[in-house]
Amino acid sequence: MRWPRAAVNGLLPFGLLVVVWAVVTRAGLVAEIFLPRPEEVVRTGWAMALDGSLWTNIIASLGRVALGLCVSVPLAVGAGVAVGLSRRLAAVLEPVASFFNSLSGIAWLPLAVTWFGLGWVSVTFIMVNTVFFLVFFNTLVGVRTVPRVFEHAVRTLGGSRRHLIFQVLIPGAMPSIVAGIRMSIGFGWRALIAAEMIATSTGLGFLIFNAQNFHQTDTILVGIITIGLIWLATDRLVLQPLERWTIERWGLVSAP
Amino acid sequence: MRETAVTWCLLLAGFLAAWSVAAATLPVPSYMLPSPGAVLAAGQDLVVKGILPTYIAESLRRMVLAAVIAFAIGVPAGIALGMSRRLAEFAYPLLNFFQSVSGIAWLPLMLVWFGFGERTILVAVNYTVVFPVALNTLLGVRSVPRIYVNGLRTLGAPRWRIARDVILPGALPSIATGMRLGLAYGWRALIAAEMLVGAHGLGFMIFTAQNFHLTARIMLGMVVIGALWLVLDYFVFRPLEQATIERWGLVQR
Repeated sequence: MRWPRAAVNGLLPFGLLVVVWAVVTRAGLVAEIFLPRPEEVVRTGWAMALDGSLWTNIIASLGRVALGLCVSVPLAVGAGVAVGLSRRLAAVLEPVASFFNSLSGIAWLPLAVTWFGLGWVSVTFIMVNTVFFLVFFNTLVGVRTVPRVFEHAVRTLGGSRRHLIFQVLIPGAMPSIVAGIRMSIGFGWRALIAAEMIATSTGLGFLIFNAQNFHQTDTILVGIITIGLIWLATDRLVLQPLERWTIERWGLVSAP
Repeated sequence: MRETAVTWCLLLAGFLAAWSVAAATLPVPSYMLPSPGAVLAAGQDLVVKGILPTYIAESLRRMVLAAVIAFAIGVPAGIALGMSRRLAEFAYPLLNFFQSVSGIAWLPLMLVWFGFGERTILVAVNYTVVFPVALNTLLGVRSVPRIYVNGLRTLGAPRWRIARDVILPGALPSIATGMRLGLAYGWRALIAAEMLVGAHGLGFMIFTAQNFHLTARIMLGMVVIGALWLVLDYFVFRPLEQATIERWGLVQR
């Protein structure tokens, strides 16, 4: 029965933060328009949950993340392995991938808007782009770090190229691929919020940026807290278990 | 190595040639796909007018400032919190939460607080950098084996000596990782903030170029943004991380 204590330890800091927030706003240290009271934010959040506007925006944002992952991860892993098969090509393409990596995210937005116009295509493009290059780069690096002995061993035992790919390269690169996916969600999620502020009219980014136009700080805070909670939930429930599982299953295999 | 460089040049030449041909033959307006020549011309134009150097300097200045401030706040905070187990347990969920809400998500609120201007950009970028640094410092401090701390304590060292001689060196690899990650987030946040707030800088440049369909200028800006980060990463952060990991980390030779 460890988890109740862990839960208490995890929630206590937030409880204290809310108390401080309540005291500060109640004492009138900050104007209501700059920092609304906690109960005001809860009320706004509740109202938005009831009229469905919160859910629409959450689903819009999460849908883009899911779409970005579903499109990009298979493509990126495939491309990464394909390039990694040839050591020379990999050495040549690694700096290229690294360049696009460093460029990924929000910097593509003006070009995306020129090409696809304002709307969900541009925003999704940002997400797809960010995930693709990070996962591609990490797959490439992962494949390159698989010790060549394993490759030679499978070849010597008469393994075909297919065996090599599915039983040596992909499993060997798996920890790196998963780390790439995890990082890409982190970077992609941030880029997505920023892109939604600029280029579309749905999603959590739009929600908070639009609220800013009307000085609705309570709506902004509802959005910020939602963004944080979604990220924590994804990290705790999806990414960390995934990473732990791959590392246990495939990671830290030391070269003989 | 030389072979790689040659292949690289060939690849680049092939890419540029394909791009030129595509730009010349594809039935799309030139603002959709400007030729490489147009991008170069845009670059020359921006350099001659002095816009590009000014904006690069502006963006870099903000980034350096953010790095310095984040380092000055994040590292001491992480060490102070990490040195006590209970404090660390208390602070970790908070730091993790605030790290996960990127600075850009706070931007609307910061706009209400600080208005459209330099201050909002700086606060947003600093926020983005400081939390990964503090969080990783804390994790680094926690990962220093107790036995070293106890060893020094047994020898009668005061708290500040333990912090300086055991905790700080022990946490350095983790701090370097935190800095690199934080600045990577921060650079992107800076570009986004410059687009949204619109006060000079490279993000502002490519964003306004979009309004006037100056696509060549956008592409040039992107190349500069990517190249700048690459140069910083390769020549500053990566050697730093490597050096700390080799010097103090778990590399066994």
